[in-house]
Amino acid sequence: MRKEDTVKLISAEGFEFVIDKEAAMVSQTIRNMLTSPGSFAETEHGEVTFPEISTVILEKICQYFYWSLQYARGKETEFPIEPELTLELMMAANYLHT
Amino acid sequence: MEETELVSLCLEAACKSEESVEKWRRQRRTLERLPSHLAQSLLQRLLHRRLLFPSLLEVFKYSMEEIDLRGQNSVDAEWMAYIGAFRYLRYLSLADCHRVTNSALWPIIGMACLKELDLSRCTKVTNAGVRHLISISTLEKLWVSETRITADGVALLSSLENLSVLDLGGLPVTDKALNSLQLLTKLEYLDLWGSKISNGGVGVLQSFPKLSFLNLAWTSITNLPDLSALECLNMSNCTINSVLHGTGDKAPLTKLIFSGATFIDGAETFLYMEKSLLLFLDISNSSLHRFSFLSYMEMLEHLDLSSSMLGDDSVEHIVCIGANLRYLNLSSTKVSSTGVGVLAGHVPKLEILSLSHTSIDDMALLYIGMMLSLKVVDLSNTNIKGTIPVEGMDCQMVSSLAALQNLACLERLVLEQTKVRDADLSPLSSCKELSHLSLNCASLTDATLHLLASLPRLTYLSICEAVLTNSGLDSFTPPAALRVLDLRDCWLLTEDAVSLFSKKHPQIEVRHEAVPLLSSELVSSNRASLSQPSSRTSRMKSKQKNMPLSQFFIDQRLKYSREELLALQYSFLSLNSPDDTGIILSELQLDPIN
Repeated sequence: MRKEDTVKLISAEGFEFVIDKEAAMVSQTIRNMLTSPGSFAETEHGEVTFPEISTVILEKICQYFYWSLQYARGKETEFPIEPELTLELMMAANYLHT
Repeated sequence: MEETELVSLCLEAACKSEESVEKWRRQRRTLERLPSHLAQSLLQRLLHRRLLFPSLLEVFKYSMEEIDLRGQNSVDAEWMAYIGAFRYLRYLSLADCHRVTNSALWPIIGMACLKELDLSRCTKVTNAGVRHLISISTLEKLWVSETRITADGVALLSSLENLSVLDLGGLPVTDKALNSLQLLTKLEYLDLWGSKISNGGVGVLQSFPKLSFLNLAWTSITNLPDLSALECLNMSNCTINSVLHGTGDKAPLTKLIFSGATFIDGAETFLYMEKSLLLFLDISNSSLHRFSFLSYMEMLEHLDLSSSMLGDDSVEHIVCIGANLRYLNLSSTKVSSTGVGVLAGHVPKLEILSLSHTSIDDMALLYIGMMLSLKVVDLSNTNIKGTIPVEGMDCQMVSSLAALQNLACLERLVLEQTKVRDADLSPLSSCKELSHLSLNCASLTDATLHLLASLPRLTYLSICEAVLTNSGLDSFTPPAALRVLDLRDCWLLTEDAVSLFSKKHPQIEVRHEAVPLLSSELVSSNRASLSQPSSRTSRMKSKQKNMPLSQFFIDQRLKYSREELLALQYSFLSLNSPDDTGIILSELQLDPIN
């Protein structure tokens, strides 16, 4: 996997998730950060930090990105969400516009 | 704000069961950071699923800005105690919450942000409740129609100086009580239908300089003084002598409702009104018999003349103002096919046309086929037979419905109680946008059912009273979009055949005497209340109107028959602002799928 094709998402606790750029683009917010010309440091380094999103939630978000891609390609599975995570995840999803 | 996909998945998971609620509830702190629109979606969904209970409300304490609890029978003093603590609440609707009492209102008196409060039809609220309300000085909008507040209670409201909207509909407001409201100079919207205001007291309305909406329906007022800011006026079912008769600036009227009104001076009443801005006019059921005043209403988009004295000779006045018309209701008038012919070619924007209960025949269809913007056409209870002689050859007949093939936008068509037969309907198979079709004609058979299978967008099909057979229904392949199939009074169908069809096509709600009504079918729309009592009562085989009514209706709609509901939909529309003709289309649809 080439470095240009990936992005690094960093959680509040500093955990790093390296995922495909294509998957990260499921989030409208990340898409805007990565594609808007120049202005964001994120565009250059391919790194985005989320001081408000905990590791557990960010991991779930990354899982969702990949699930969403598969779903779009016609693989109809359910995306499981643990009840404990629902509200935190909802707020993160709202922020990430996904 | 629209929910994104993951957000709705989360909402779904959060409201799955009591257990899931219990699990996320343990992290109460997170809810303090919940954006208010998400809090609202979550609360509405919990309500819908019957998972909300008073102490759970506490988690919304810091995130809720608007809360709509209308029709929730469980809402009582205990709920109100929690809601009173909602720090940032701006809007609260308790309409139709029958367990809200005066003392239940006490906790909300300290709410510093509350600006809008709806207590419509809270039948336990009286003048004592008003004493609590008047301490909420921030209130800007207040709805208290059909409560048990009397004239004395209304007079107390004069201390709510910030009020711009006040709905006192159905309350016994007297001239004296209205007089004491003079202090409310910010009033823009005042609803006084059914009040006891008389000609003597109505002059006070001139002291509200910003008054733009006024409802005086069902009152004894005959002379309305000039009100310079008035835009919307409803004087339905009044006996009218003079309206806005004055020498000053004319009111910039955009919407007038005189449904069922008696005009002492006939059309003269309209002489002094500013007519050039008018968008919406409802003079259905009124006593008018001359319609020349219509010619001045060049902007008019919505015109309801149903059950009026209008005949073919007056259609020319509609022609003059046809350019902007989008809605035209001529049902139960004396208009015939000739009149429709006069109209053709002059209503380029007309989207909704009703000619039901008129004497029009198949000739009218040819003219209707020339009104190319039509989306909704109601031709029920007319003399339409479905065929028309070919020109020059009197004995050769062709389908008159072929004219409708020109209407590329046609979405809804009502042909109930006409004499059309199977073969005449064949042109409809090329009306590809058709989504709603009502064909309650005793002359139709299985052939019609199969013909309609090719309509790609058909979501609602009513074919009551038809001679459909079990084998015909069995071999029917419904269009993929179909959600409601109404087969009531198709007397040849047996219970087995209907339930077999339902099983084969679970996405379709089938209505027939043999099918017990399920709760989901009875209670439609997004704010449906799926309470346990509702599903219990509705599983009984009785029809809706025969259902034993509990002390309070679970859903107000259960009170009414379908016909009454349709009538209500129109009356609801007429209370809407005139510029939302787009909404009319969707509001016309009564089915659960919408």
